[in-house]
Amino acid sequence: MSVSVFVTPVLIILLLLYCAKKKVNCYGTFANGAKGAVGLCLDVLPFLVTIFVAIQLFRISGLAEIVADYLGPVIECLGIPRELTELMIIRPFSGSGSLALAEQIFSTYGPDSYISRCASVIMGSSETIFYVATIYLSQTKAKRLLYAIPVALIATLASSIIACLLCRVM
Amino acid sequence: MRKIWFFMVLASLVTLLFIDPEDSINAMMNAGADAVSLTIRLLGIYAVWLGIIALVDASGLSGKIANLLDPVIDWLFGKTDKETKKYIALNMSANILGMGNACTPTGLKAMNGLDKQNNSTTASTAMIMLIVINATSLQLIPTTIIGLRQQYGSTASSDIILPTIISTLVSTALGIILVKICAKIHKKHQNRVKK
Repeated sequence: MSVSVFVTPVLIILLLLYCAKKKVNCYGTFANGAKGAVGLCLDVLPFLVTIFVAIQLFRISGLAEIVADYLGPVIECLGIPRELTELMIIRPFSGSGSLALAEQIFSTYGPDSYISRCASVIMGSSETIFYVATIYLSQTKAKRLLYAIPVALIATLASSIIACLLCRVM
Repeated sequence: MRKIWFFMVLASLVTLLFIDPEDSINAMMNAGADAVSLTIRLLGIYAVWLGIIALVDASGLSGKIANLLDPVIDWLFGKTDKETKKYIALNMSANILGMGNACTPTGLKAMNGLDKQNNSTTASTAMIMLIVINATSLQLIPTTIIGLRQQYGSTASSDIILPTIISTLVSTALGIILVKICAKIHKKHQNRVKK
């Protein structure tokens, strides 16, 4: 058990106490806030379907592996273990998909190996870029994202390289 | 985004045509069903978080957090209205605290606010900034991964915390700097087009 499991519950308890002090109608306010989720999810759903179709096809067609094979040497040049190539490719698209790959890596190489530690840091310091961009855009009239995705990808790649370096020395 | 999606789907479908044409339509249907079940799960999660966030808001805490982060938000997002600022502040705090599921609903509300001010089909710099910050991860303690490592019998499951914090900060800082630079270049380019 790490300290981090206490963070969220403790914050919520403090919040409730603070609300009581400020005489907020907690029950009504909570319900009213929760109502907003329905609209949000309805907006997000069509975009989720769209991106899921692409990811699913990409994985079962074996293209993900082929691309990983080609990119392997490039990734290795950058100082990231070749075994992590597929993780690096899936990570920007799918949180559950990349988590499954990380589990595979843990069970193949052991959780305390260099490769697994790199995988952990990469997972911990990156996000599902395409997923975030898709659902955030679902809320807007804007269709053109300009440089948002390339910037996020470059920043993530750079941090992954640093992650592997850090795992070597720490 | 449009191009990536198009080529991913097209290339995958063509490949599947040669290996397993039957599977392609199945995969698409499964993907649709997966997306629906994920949305329903998210609906519950978002509802709870939006409920909690409503409490934060009603108690006046969100205004306080927004005031605290005000200089940072001004620097990152330029001038925005108070309501949007509040959601940006909540989104960033939820990010840092690692409440991943609280990030999305607050982020979407903030995005909504930014969009109203933007009123164009091209995303504003503030919108891009919000997406990049959320897409480069601000989470300091990777709870899910630490849990997973423990599950697989790691003897030092949390020794990745420090490298993760450094790497997260690097990616977010780099993302912010790149957005700032790209925004300048984009502005110059547009001015030239106008002339």
